[in-house]
Amino acid sequence: MASRSPSKADKRPPRTHRRNDVAWRTPTSRSILIAAASAVAALVLAACGSGSAGGGASGKPTGKLTFVTFAPFSGPDAAFGASKVAGIIPAIYAIDHGGGILGDTKVGWMESDSRGDPADAVPIAQKLLLTTPSMVGIIGPTSDESTATVPIFNAAHIPTFALTGQIAFNRNTYPYFWRITPPDNDVGLAMAMYAHARGYTSAAMVFGTDIGATGAVPSLLKAWQHLGGKVVANESLPLDQSSYQSEAAKVAAAHPQVIFFEADAQTSATYLSELNQMHGLVPFIGTDGTTVPSWTGPVAKAVGQATFDKYYVGAQPYAPTSGPSFDAWKAAFNAVRSQEPKPASQWLDSSFAFAGYDGAIIMALAMDAAKSTNTKVFNAFVPKVTSASPGAVKVYSYAAGRRALAQGKQIQYVGATGVIAFDQYHNSPGGFEIINSKFNFITAYTAAQIGALSVASGATNVG
Amino acid sequence: MNTLVQAIGFGLVSAAIIAVAAVGFTMQFGVTNILNLAYGDVMTASAYIGYLVNNAGLSIAYSLVVGAVVGGALSLALNRYLFRRYIRHGTQLFGMIVVTLSVAVIIQNILLVSFGPSFFVYRIPLGGGIKLGPARFSGVQLVIMAIAVVTMALVHVGLTRTRLGKCMRATACDAVLAQTCGVFTDRVVDAAWLLSGMLCGLAGVVLVLSTTAFQSTTGSEFLILIVAAAMLGGVGQAHGAMIAAVIVGVITSITAAYSNPSYQDIAGFGVLVIVLLWRPRGLFGKVEGERGIP
Repeated sequence: MASRSPSKADKRPPRTHRRNDVAWRTPTSRSILIAAASAVAALVLAACGSGSAGGGASGKPTGKLTFVTFAPFSGPDAAFGASKVAGIIPAIYAIDHGGGILGDTKVGWMESDSRGDPADAVPIAQKLLLTTPSMVGIIGPTSDESTATVPIFNAAHIPTFALTGQIAFNRNTYPYFWRITPPDNDVGLAMAMYAHARGYTSAAMVFGTDIGATGAVPSLLKAWQHLGGKVVANESLPLDQSSYQSEAAKVAAAHPQVIFFEADAQTSATYLSELNQMHGLVPFIGTDGTTVPSWTGPVAKAVGQATFDKYYVGAQPYAPTSGPSFDAWKAAFNAVRSQEPKPASQWLDSSFAFAGYDGAIIMALAMDAAKSTNTKVFNAFVPKVTSASPGAVKVYSYAAGRRALAQGKQIQYVGATGVIAFDQYHNSPGGFEIINSKFNFITAYTAAQIGALSVASGATNVG
Repeated sequence: MNTLVQAIGFGLVSAAIIAVAAVGFTMQFGVTNILNLAYGDVMTASAYIGYLVNNAGLSIAYSLVVGAVVGGALSLALNRYLFRRYIRHGTQLFGMIVVTLSVAVIIQNILLVSFGPSFFVYRIPLGGGIKLGPARFSGVQLVIMAIAVVTMALVHVGLTRTRLGKCMRATACDAVLAQTCGVFTDRVVDAAWLLSGMLCGLAGVVLVLSTTAFQSTTGSEFLILIVAAAMLGGVGQAHGAMIAAVIVGVITSITAAYSNPSYQDIAGFGVLVIVLLWRPRGLFGKVEGERGIP
């Protein structure tokens, strides 16, 4: 075959660096650098968010000692963080205005965003330990990240007043872990008791698949069946789907008299609005995951306020809203009301805020009792300032407790959450109350009643 | 049998939402070859602006229009003033994924800072269900399906009967050849971002009408389903995305109806894996040569 003479096309220079050139080029170091720089810039920008989004630590300037609220402040559970902050702000006020720790040491607080995900929370916790040498105690973590981060804080000898009901901690062995909120399985018992008291005999169980929601299920099931109730439907809701019609249809077809329920706010709003519109609602009893305005607000809007008021009740840890402890809390709360997460009014009788408040006060009193701010020293005094030992003086505020300790007396701090009695697992079981959609009290069950049902139904063996 | 028919009906509601979003996503990816991981967060941003409109007392119809406009404008701006600069500096596919991921994080956190961690709810008239055969639908769900049908019809007509649609398909197929044939690919890319962004914004408002409550992470949590439908249908194939959305929506709904609802995502993504093993380019994907970023 004769060779052909080179054409004009052959004489063209190679196709490089022309606009809209689609030939693949090998990645240049510059392009990699640009991409990496943009990723870093995004992370830095996210970390600078005022809500501590992105895993940063921010908050008020700290004093000599620092309490840290370690909870989600971003992501799907961002509302959890606000409830923790709502408790610690009045506590800091009460401590600083009650004379300060050891008579003169003021404390500060800061928030650390765990992002509600164990994969994010672990490096954030490790960073917190390295960058906050003044940290003497933690309010948190929550159910989202506690199993991953409690061991880290414990290894660093930092007392943590965890705000998690996870049953994994029912037989806790971490010496620096303390819990004054009842475990999730206890809330299931209270729900079963209330439904039984109302005369219901058939129930549907509808729970989201997140770890916080499922904790109540095993004990609820055992207690409900022990009380003679039937479970006619048991649905797990994968979170944040665009629709739950199939799940709603299954529950409606079972004709339950009552629904035991928990899921995050978005999932709940979607599911309950579809159930309501397709089939009509029936009475539903929510766990303590539902007794917060960040849940009741959107869900009430989704199903209609009147319908929500008619059918909803929730079970939450019992915290008295009267008496000297509540008065002390209220005084501190009102003094710092303008600093509370808005709207502030939602926290005045919030058992979640009470728990954060009491945790900080207890640690402060433990430091006074131990005459030391060394965490390895004062941690052992946490149960000593709360137990009803012979001769102990009951105190209801930090100032009163500090004064009594200064006089050489033993104290029993009775907090906003009520009497605190740590067992050998560092848990302080408490009672539960049933509230309506307006957060008004309906009835309550004592720790003794719940404990008795737990033993009788075999729910004690769960967790 | 009733349960099956019901489940298919419910699946069509989910499919409607996925379809609007997936068509926009695949259009973006098909024309520009950018896997835009900020797509879900642009949906959320549009939903928030639509919420502000609705909260000001205007009806949902205005929210839908404003959401679409916001989505289109935001997407166009992102391409013009951000993505295109990286492309011109030589950033390749993986680098662009990182860039879009960064944008996603930025948008999500801007929304969180601006609106807080609370959940928001549109003002939707609450009514009873409407029975169609064995299935019951709410008024909102019927409207969502109608919006999806009309939107898909417009997309179909636009892509097949208009010059712009033909140019977009040509650019998606081979940008260099299209340019050689006289297509102004820069303008086509702009149009693709604008139109797909409008679909993104519309999908955002439609999604939160279905979920009822939403927050800053709502759109990003939905993104994986959108990408799955786009991949299942074939990259750049709008009709494929529509059909894939129906497949994914119906399969997940049937799974939820007959078994533990936790398995529905397993079923949906299981179908994707199986189909891609059989047809790596998706159900309607075409064999591709080398593709870069136009």
